[in-house]
This record gives sequence, structure tokens and C-alpha cells, in this order.
Amino acid sequence: MNAPHNALAFTQDRPAAVRNAVEVAHVSKQFGKLMVLEDISLSAPAGSVLAIVGASGCGKSTLLNIIAGLARADRGSVTIDGATGDRSHDTRVISYMFQEDRLLPWRTIAANTEFGLEARPMRASERRERSLEVLKMTGLEGFENAYPHELSGGMRSRVALARSLVVKPYMLLMDEPFSKLDPQMRSQMHAELLRIRDQLKMTIVFVTHDVEEAIVLADRIVVLKPRPGRVRDVLDIDLPRPRDPLAADVAEAVRHVRALI
Amino acid sequence: MASLSTVRSSASDRSARLAGVAGMIAQRAALLAVFLVVWWLAALRVPAFILPGIGKTWDALRELIASGTFGDDLGITLYRVVAGFALAALVGTPLGVVLGSNRRLGQFFDPLLSVVNTVSAAIWAIFALIWFGISNGTTIFVVFMEAMPLILTNVWQGAQGVNAEYIELARSFQMSRAKVMTKIYLPTVLPHFFSGARLAFGFGWRVSLVAETIGSSNGVGYRLRQAADLVQTDQVFAWTLTLIVMMVVVEYGILKPLENRLFRWKRRV
Repeated sequence: MNAPHNALAFTQDRPAAVRNAVEVAHVSKQFGKLMVLEDISLSAPAGSVLAIVGASGCGKSTLLNIIAGLARADRGSVTIDGATGDRSHDTRVISYMFQEDRLLPWRTIAANTEFGLEARPMRASERRERSLEVLKMTGLEGFENAYPHELSGGMRSRVALARSLVVKPYMLLMDEPFSKLDPQMRSQMHAELLRIRDQLKMTIVFVTHDVEEAIVLADRIVVLKPRPGRVRDVLDIDLPRPRDPLAADVAEAVRHVRALI
Repeated sequence: MASLSTVRSSASDRSARLAGVAGMIAQRAALLAVFLVVWWLAALRVPAFILPGIGKTWDALRELIASGTFGDDLGITLYRVVAGFALAALVGTPLGVVLGSNRRLGQFFDPLLSVVNTVSAAIWAIFALIWFGISNGTTIFVVFMEAMPLILTNVWQGAQGVNAEYIELARSFQMSRAKVMTKIYLPTVLPHFFSGARLAFGFGWRVSLVAETIGSSNGVGYRLRQAADLVQTDQVFAWTLTLIVMMVVVEYGILKPLENRLFRWKRRV
């Protein structure tokens, strides 16, 4: 119930000792003449979950791509664990989970999971071992040899998650990863994600238009306004976990954030 | 629960597939019987030098096999077809991937392909005769010129259809361009390569005979022309039968099983 009142604006400085997994400072991005992002600043403390919410067209995905290093900012900087610069020289592993599961139809579930490890040299047996490990973690034991078309949407989503986790990421970026699942499956995936996050101690940054999803998962929420994308508000969510979307305090927080969008 | 239902459905799948195979064999046998009856009836009313009967053709075939050069002729023709086809696959596949993955290059070379495709196999055979004379090279060249554009076109189309989302996925894992080629492009292109290669092998096989009739002193094509010159129609029929049997063996003994194995990840329709 008290969440919105506890929510701090980002401008109210917190102690400097907090180590940030990612810091975005004054990032702007244009596509041709169209201003997509304007002066975006945000940060996610190491080990926290940050949600970026906003209406469609506010540049959420573009922002995530810039953090991932898949797109370049025109102005401003992105700092990962204190290091600015070219992502390809970065030792910190960042995984990106796309909106679609993007499973390769010609690969089995185990081989799809291993895909994340194939960019670097590694023994095949070690790859297999690590993929089986994350498949177990995501509840896919016994489906190693199935092909993607044999699985349901929820299970495919688990495979995509397993593929993101197999590289042992320092930070996991997700672009509306569960938006195509039915509500029940989605909340199940939320619980799984939080459980795995506790296990692997990684930072999660995700984009969503679903405010409820943001409140249930995130420690901090960045609300963007559209055209061009700007930061409207930053809220810290201190509600106890697990968060039940039907509980009064969670519902209140959802209402509060919806009003901002 | 999910795995249980999978097991059950695969068991019923198997019996359904067995029934399907039995039905298919019966159908094929019936078709063969119809063909043989029509042949037999037609041969009854026509002189043997125009249309030899089944028995006469069978005798000619046995004679050919006994003559000693049968295996050599078949072997040399097969060698030329396989050599031309292999060269075509080696050249056409990488070329198709490059042209398909690079829009500007593809646009530039697009007309060339149409031009090559319009040139008749007989013209290639004549050119080959001028350049290579009576040799293996003539037939191999003709097979190559016929098969290469087919493989190239199919692979080209396949490479154009590569899912950009998969490439982005590979990029998010920081895969090198070479790995994107082998891990995304190649598997996407493989079904297209296969349909192209199947066409190319069939075409190559047919044009090899044309090439051998004018540019060779052995092989099935040469024997066919010899038999035709001497009006040994029964021998022409015997060779034709041999070729048909060979193509059927290649199709159902090699290509189909290979295809089923390679593309087992595809959803059964």
C-alpha cells in the first residue's frame, strides 16, 4: 500500500557506494530526422532488476539495444560495471532475450541452448554439460532431443531463457520476453526468472509495456514518455517478495505507475 | 504428462506410417503393371524395329550385360555426371550464398543467370566439343553448365530468405561472420540446395547423354547413338530401361533417405 509513497525520484541521490551494473548517461538517438531517445539517464545496481516501461513508440527497445551494444547511441554513454566503451572488448557477458523466442528450427532443444556458447572455442562435451545444467534449471529436463516445433509456447520461452543463461551472464537484457505467453504461463515464468536470478546473482534489465509485470519483477522502474523517448519518472519498488499481482499493495503500485504512462 | 502423450502418439504414428508404406507399394506395383500391359499391347501391332516387345528388350538387355562393355559404359557415364555435378555443387553453393547474402552483388549478377539459363544444352555440347574435343571434359562441362545454374539459383533464393532475426541473435552472442555463415546461412540454405541439387542431378544425367552422342567414344550416350544408327531398337530400349532403373535407385535409395535424415527437424504435414 505504501509503495508509491516510498518511491524515490531518481534525482534524489542515494549513497555513492552502490555499485551499478549498468549506467546510462544522457543517451540520445535519432533515426534520420526522427528523435527516438532524448537525454536518457538511468542506472541499475548490480544484482537488481530494472524495468523500463512506456507506451509503444517510446523507444524502449532501441534503448535496450543500445545497452546491449546492438545499436549505437548518437550522444551519451553506457557504462557496464564501471567500464565505458566498445562492447566487443568487454569481458562482462551480457545476454539478450528477444521478444520472439528465435529458436533455430533445425536444432534440438539442447543444441539450441548450446548456440549461445558456440561463439567462443569450447569443448563439445563441456558445452553439452552446461546446456543440460541450465535446461534442468529451467525445468526442461527430458526434452533435450525434442525439436522446437514439438514444444508449446511456454516451453519454447523456457528454452530461449536457458539459451540466454547458458553463457552465465553478468547481466540479462530482455525485450518483452513473455508478452506472447498466456497470463498464467507468464506469471509462472516470472516466478522462475526470480528464482534463477537469486541462484545466479545477475542483474536483469527488461523492457515491457505491461505495468503489472514490471511491478512484480522489478526493484526499480523507469517510466518513459513517448515521441521522443524521455525519462518521465524513476521509481524504486520496495514491496516484499513474492509479489502477488492481486495483493492490495501491488495493485496500488500498478495503478500509480499506469497513471504515469 | 507431456512425454507420455508424445510416446503414445509416436506409437500410433508408426503403425499409421507402416500402413501408408504398404499402400504406397501396392500403388506403385499397380502402376508398373499398367505400364507393362500397355507396352505389351502396343508392341503386338507394331514392327519390332519401331517398338520392340518386352521379351525382345529383355533379351537385348541380357546380351548387353554379357557383352562386357556394359559396366564400363555405365560407369564412365556415371563418372562424368557425378564429376560435373560435384563441380557444379562446389561452385554453385558458395556463389549462391554470397549473392544471396549480399543484395548489391545479387542485383548486379541477376541478368547473367537468366542468360546462362536460356542457352540450350546442345549449344554447350557443341562449344565443349570445340574446346575439349572427344574426351571426358566435354560431357563433364555440359553437365556442369546445366547443373550449376540450377544449384546456384536455388541456393541464392534460400540465402535471400535467411531470417534476419536469427542473424541478430547470433550477433547478440557476438558470433563472427564466418560462424553466422556456417550456423545460420548453411542450415537455412540446405533444403534449397537439396531441391536444386536433385533437379540438377536429373538434368545433368539427361544432358550427359546428349553430350556423349556427339562428344565421346564410349559411355551410354555413345552406345545409344550406335544402336540407333544400326536400327537396333531393342538395344535402345534396353539402355533406356537401365537408365530409368538407375534413376529410381538413386532417388529412393540415396536422395529420399538422405533428405528424411537431414530434414527430420521439419514438422510433418
